[in-house]
Amino acid sequence: MGRKINSLLLEFANIHRFLMRFFREAVSPPYEFKEIIRQCYEVGWKSFPLIGLTGFIVGFVFTKQSRPSLEDFGATSWLPALISIAIVRALAPLVTALIASGKVGSQIGAELSSMNVTEQIDAMEVSGTNPFKYLVVSRILATTIMIPVLCFYIAAIGLFGGYLSIIGQDQLSLLSFFTQVFDKIAFIDVFAMTLRAIVFGFTIGFASCYIGYNSSKGTEGVGKAANSAVVASMFIVFIEELLIVQLLAVITPLIT
Amino acid sequence: MSATDNKRSLIVGLFVFIGLIILVAGILVIGTQQNKFSKNIKVTTYFKDVKGLKVGNNVWFSGVKVGIIKDIAFEGVENVRVTMNIEEKNSQFIRKDVIATLGSDGLIGNSIISLVGGNAQNPQIEEGDVLTSGPSGGMEQMMGLLQENGANLSTITQNFAKLSQQMVDGKGTVGALMTDDGIATNLKSSVTTMNKVMSDANVAVNNLVALTQKLNSNQGLIHDLTTDTKVFASLRDAAAQLQGVTQTANALVENLNQTSARLNDKDNAIGVLTNDPDAANEIKQILKNLNTSTEKLDQNMEALQSNFLFRGFFKKKEKEAHKEVEEIK
Repeated sequence: MGRKINSLLLEFANIHRFLMRFFREAVSPPYEFKEIIRQCYEVGWKSFPLIGLTGFIVGFVFTKQSRPSLEDFGATSWLPALISIAIVRALAPLVTALIASGKVGSQIGAELSSMNVTEQIDAMEVSGTNPFKYLVVSRILATTIMIPVLCFYIAAIGLFGGYLSIIGQDQLSLLSFFTQVFDKIAFIDVFAMTLRAIVFGFTIGFASCYIGYNSSKGTEGVGKAANSAVVASMFIVFIEELLIVQLLAVITPLIT
Repeated sequence: MSATDNKRSLIVGLFVFIGLIILVAGILVIGTQQNKFSKNIKVTTYFKDVKGLKVGNNVWFSGVKVGIIKDIAFEGVENVRVTMNIEEKNSQFIRKDVIATLGSDGLIGNSIISLVGGNAQNPQIEEGDVLTSGPSGGMEQMMGLLQENGANLSTITQNFAKLSQQMVDGKGTVGALMTDDGIATNLKSSVTTMNKVMSDANVAVNNLVALTQKLNSNQGLIHDLTTDTKVFASLRDAAAQLQGVTQTANALVENLNQTSARLNDKDNAIGVLTNDPDAANEIKQILKNLNTSTEKLDQNMEALQSNFLFRGFFKKKEKEAHKEVEEIK
């Protein structure tokens, strides 16, 4: 029991050290722009079809499933308002983060742990390249930047999916739809969405990199790292979601 | 830098750029719809109760959104200051004397402030104006009315309960009617009498009807009187003649009057005869003289019969008279 707590505390210390190192390396030159762009390409552009499609389906299905509840009140005209709040405040960042956890998190975890296993990281260090800067900082920055961008896309695509779902049964112009959508959301909602996306992006990158970078040696370590990266990312994302909702509930009345 | 890297940079740049455009567009649309960027003027109003109005709720004027609620704060006990941002471009249509009322943008919708009224002659609202607040309309008013109706209904049912209790207890006219046997009997006999009266009246009316029918038929005096113009003409003639007759009679009576008046006078024969006592005495004297004369004449006549000269004549006359009597026998 004591050893378990000991190892847990040691893990926290390692995470803290890793985090501090990231910030230190991130602000200090030289900057690996090329690698960051490459990672952005991997994280953002390569994930876009999957995440975009998911976002569309989520918007479409969510609207479809919300309709019966609102129909009971004869309030189907409130569908745009409902889905705007649901998608912008919660669904867009969350869906993006969850899908990215699966796609990007596993990719980073597997990549780094396999490099670790094959001792490429050690080799880099020997060759004079800073492996942390090159591998970890670039990836974390890439996810932190690209997840919010993906999130904006998902919000737009998800709302469009919702619109398509609505016009399947009602007559509604796109202009009227977006007027109603933007009537219900405020700056605080967009701010909350962006904040979530940034936090989630950072979390996915950081957790995946940490797990991959510190994976156990051996081939099974790669699979384990990929798996852990996804699970840890998703888990932390949900915890953060919980915390951010509480935080926003406190600061929303102060801002508006 | 390789071509692939270039291409990737381009794609990432474009991707991020479009993503940011979505964000900025969203922010701009929200800002435009919620008046964050348009020029606003700030006006305030005071309510006793804002009924759940929130910062960011809409302000309507004539059903058009013209602004949003900027701030809600207590100014004192039961005195809530509501600050509104009104779009400057719409403020020119809102007059200083508008009344701010609390409302709702739907049955289950958000609370709003609705600006109503405003006289076109008054100047437009300006920064810092304090608007008059009025009683809330719409839903609130309806609820108020319902409440009032409920109270009225409760009073009515209470009155009815009292009334029905009194009726059951036999109090009041209606109660007596319903419970008192004497009144019922009286009522029954009244109804019977009434029935009789009505049947009599019916007969009378029937007679009247018959009479009027007769009047309307082409027979009878009244019909002739009322419809025959000839009768009327003859009647008029008759009346005229009667008038003539009465005039004649009048003249006659006049003459008689005059005559009788003359009888009283002494300047004519009858008047003297009837009125003068001297004349009467003279006539009495004449009559006396006449009596005396006739006596003497009688004596003279008897003497004459005895006279020899006339004796034969009288004997002859006597014999003729005898003869006539015997013939009759």
